[in-house]
Amino acid sequence: MIEFLEGNDAVVRAAVEAGCRFFAGYPITPATSILTGMMRALPKVGGVAVQGEDEIASIGLCIGAAMTGKVAMTATSGPGMSLYSENIGLAVMGETPLVIVDVQRQGPATGSATKGADGDIEFLRWGTSGGLPLFVLSPENVRECYTLTREAFVLAERYRTPVVLASQKEVGLTREAVDLQAARDDSPSVFARPLADPEAPYLPHAFHDPADVAPMSPIGGPHLVRYTTSMHDKRALLAKDPALIGEMMEHLARKILAHAEEHALYDLDPQEGADTLLVAYGVTARAAREAVVQVRAAGKKAALLVLKTLFPVPEKAIGEALAGVSRVVVPEMNLGQYVEEVRKLSGDREVVSVAKMNTDLLSPEEIIAQGGLL
Amino acid sequence: MSQGTVETCGPEACVPSYIAEETLPYPFCPGCGHTKIASMIDEGLRALALPPERVVVVTDIGCVGLTDRHFSTNAFHGLHGRSITYASGIKLADPDLKVIVVMGDGGTGIGGAHLLAAARRNIGLTVIVANNFNYGMTGGQHSATTPPGAITSTTLLGNLEMPLDLMGTLKPARPGFLARTSVFAGDAVELVTRAVASDGFSLIDIWDLCVAYFAGQNTLTRDSIEQMMADLEMPAGIHHEGTRPEYARAWRDLYLPEEVADEEGMCLLPPDKGLEPVAQSQLTGRTSILIAGSAGQKIRSVATLLGAGAIMSGLLATQKDDYPITVRTGHSAAEIILSPEPITYTGVGTPDIVLILSEDGLAHVKKKLPEYPPATRIYAEEGLGELDTRAQMIRLPLLAKAKEVHRLAVGAVGLGAILAREGLYPPRLSWPPPAACRRPRWPRPTPPGWSRAWSWGSGVAARDVRWRLGRAPVLARATTVRVVG
Repeated sequence: MIEFLEGNDAVVRAAVEAGCRFFAGYPITPATSILTGMMRALPKVGGVAVQGEDEIASIGLCIGAAMTGKVAMTATSGPGMSLYSENIGLAVMGETPLVIVDVQRQGPATGSATKGADGDIEFLRWGTSGGLPLFVLSPENVRECYTLTREAFVLAERYRTPVVLASQKEVGLTREAVDLQAARDDSPSVFARPLADPEAPYLPHAFHDPADVAPMSPIGGPHLVRYTTSMHDKRALLAKDPALIGEMMEHLARKILAHAEEHALYDLDPQEGADTLLVAYGVTARAAREAVVQVRAAGKKAALLVLKTLFPVPEKAIGEALAGVSRVVVPEMNLGQYVEEVRKLSGDREVVSVAKMNTDLLSPEEIIAQGGLL
Repeated sequence: MSQGTVETCGPEACVPSYIAEETLPYPFCPGCGHTKIASMIDEGLRALALPPERVVVVTDIGCVGLTDRHFSTNAFHGLHGRSITYASGIKLADPDLKVIVVMGDGGTGIGGAHLLAAARRNIGLTVIVANNFNYGMTGGQHSATTPPGAITSTTLLGNLEMPLDLMGTLKPARPGFLARTSVFAGDAVELVTRAVASDGFSLIDIWDLCVAYFAGQNTLTRDSIEQMMADLEMPAGIHHEGTRPEYARAWRDLYLPEEVADEEGMCLLPPDKGLEPVAQSQLTGRTSILIAGSAGQKIRSVATLLGAGAIMSGLLATQKDDYPITVRTGHSAAEIILSPEPITYTGVGTPDIVLILSEDGLAHVKKKLPEYPPATRIYAEEGLGELDTRAQMIRLPLLAKAKEVHRLAVGAVGLGAILAREGLYPPRLSWPPPAACRRPRWPRPTPPGWSRAWSWGSGVAARDVRWRLGRAPVLARATTVRVVG
């Protein structure tokens, strides 16, 4: 069934179908339609959706609900992400599954509220104190707003971690013909949160191998559950011993990084003999696809790597795509952020940043001209 | 279950203590009132005799935030000032839990907005404020409740701020229970017990001595606390008792009634609007249309209609809107791309077709008009002035025609003109009416205990809103039929 949907609509559909039953958010362009969409959708399935008094409350409500057994999501834009920052750290520390949608807008601070950009990309990875890794996914169209939201819930629930969907105005509020049934068929199955054995004693942060993820037990359920923002041991009690703290840090990092490659989502469009590789993500990938068509139509060669998983950086995919090329072009709707991740992996190849953050889309022609593709 | 050993028997029954004995002693300074406050909470819980797994102690940051460690209940220790938000999420997720928030006066300052919101909602949290007038853990800085003139490490020559009166501030929200006491007062245990038992939002402001910093620097003693209450005109005692419904349950009563589970019930979601092809467009390549008008002229809706019609004619479509942050002023524009092939880049450099509906729309495209080639067709309201362009101009009395129905139909009239002349797809499409969306069963019974204010305002509003939500898709269809037909 073909529908004419906005990216934000697809996020709402995917969330409900992924089992999300708790949403809290605060109005902010261009993410508001996720808040209003969840408010309409969740009561239909017995879920709870509320508007917080601010962004800090919204993510706090979600963290409380998630630890009480609900699959939770919140959505905002750049200014709200700034306010989420501290609580993202809490979700990392307390191993709370939570999907966070950032429908990015242009500029720092209030910026251009109704215009798009990908200016938050590195902030999404490094946006809370402590520097621990988390997953960041970036949809390029409405279909991927559905599939990657479904993926985000799997990652959040499986690894007990906040997962960020890096959408933006040009994806979230762009309407597009989409067959959600086909998108559904391409999405991962719902990952039911593993629950601890109700008869056995419960350790909220248990692991043998640091990459293990402990099953959860909801607050109010069969166990007495502890949760803390402070450095803790497996029982969620204050930890002061550097050896114990080191182990816990390794656990919080390894449970994500050890599984990074299996969740590295990308499209590679290689071309035999191509000397230049385009690496793109989000809405800019659409222009990059068009640019590659034009380059090839003109008899030149170019390869294209479209990344859906931005963090952890899909190093293997980028490494393989780099083989055989001597130039890399990274177009993005900011002043050049992800290009630095690509540069780290590019050795002595020439790395070209095609960057723009003036509220206009990067066009295929600009990518071709500034990337020196023709 | 690791509930603590029996210490004493309460007045009602022999209920084991909720303090886990093996965790004692408390980490508080000798003489600090926090120890007493922990016992008062324990007394309150024992009076209710709740199973410990149905109790959550949520703590804020600060010395008193170390309290949860000692309770054999669920425990949640979160960020500074945000304890009320986690507690509210927990309560909303599981409304039958007993949720106790333990915070200091610091938390009431940094988390003031959450305190206000929680009281206004009357969400069922018991907030225990251990109010010792300073930030003890960080070395005695002044807080939101520090009295005027007080010496702290950040008010070296005396505090110039007035203290936050928690009772006076929260009373207008009419929550479940508000009281002020001190750790030394004879009725403190009874008041804490009542706060814990309260169904709605309850808060007890317990004045306390910070023996490490505030008490010594300001010669505050057990005896002078009462005098300070009098001096500040912040008396002890119960300040409010209310009967408003508790928010987490009230939310469920309102939004999750039986009928919602019924597929034919509230129609909170529009029925899935599948756009199956009912016609075949002859379009062979990508065609872009720019619609430029004023905010409030239904530009986005018209663009969606254009795209939906294209999809029903076997095409693919994208719609990219452009508007400023203002609502009913300024321009509103939409770029629509129609194509038989998948659409990658959604930008429209030079549109094939432009529809200009108003002065705002004209101002939006004015700079680009001279760049448009002769191949571009511009459909413009005839009342607009001269246009500087080489593009093909089609001037039509769009507004006059629209006014026969409604002035806001101007975009739809323009769309009809484009469809009639451009052959993008057949201008007449017919399809089955949408699945029935039955009007909800009204009036709903008013939940017991709702205040008059609620019945007066929201009852009417909610009914109206839901009715509109349910009707929205139907109205859209009606508009479509009228416009296209």
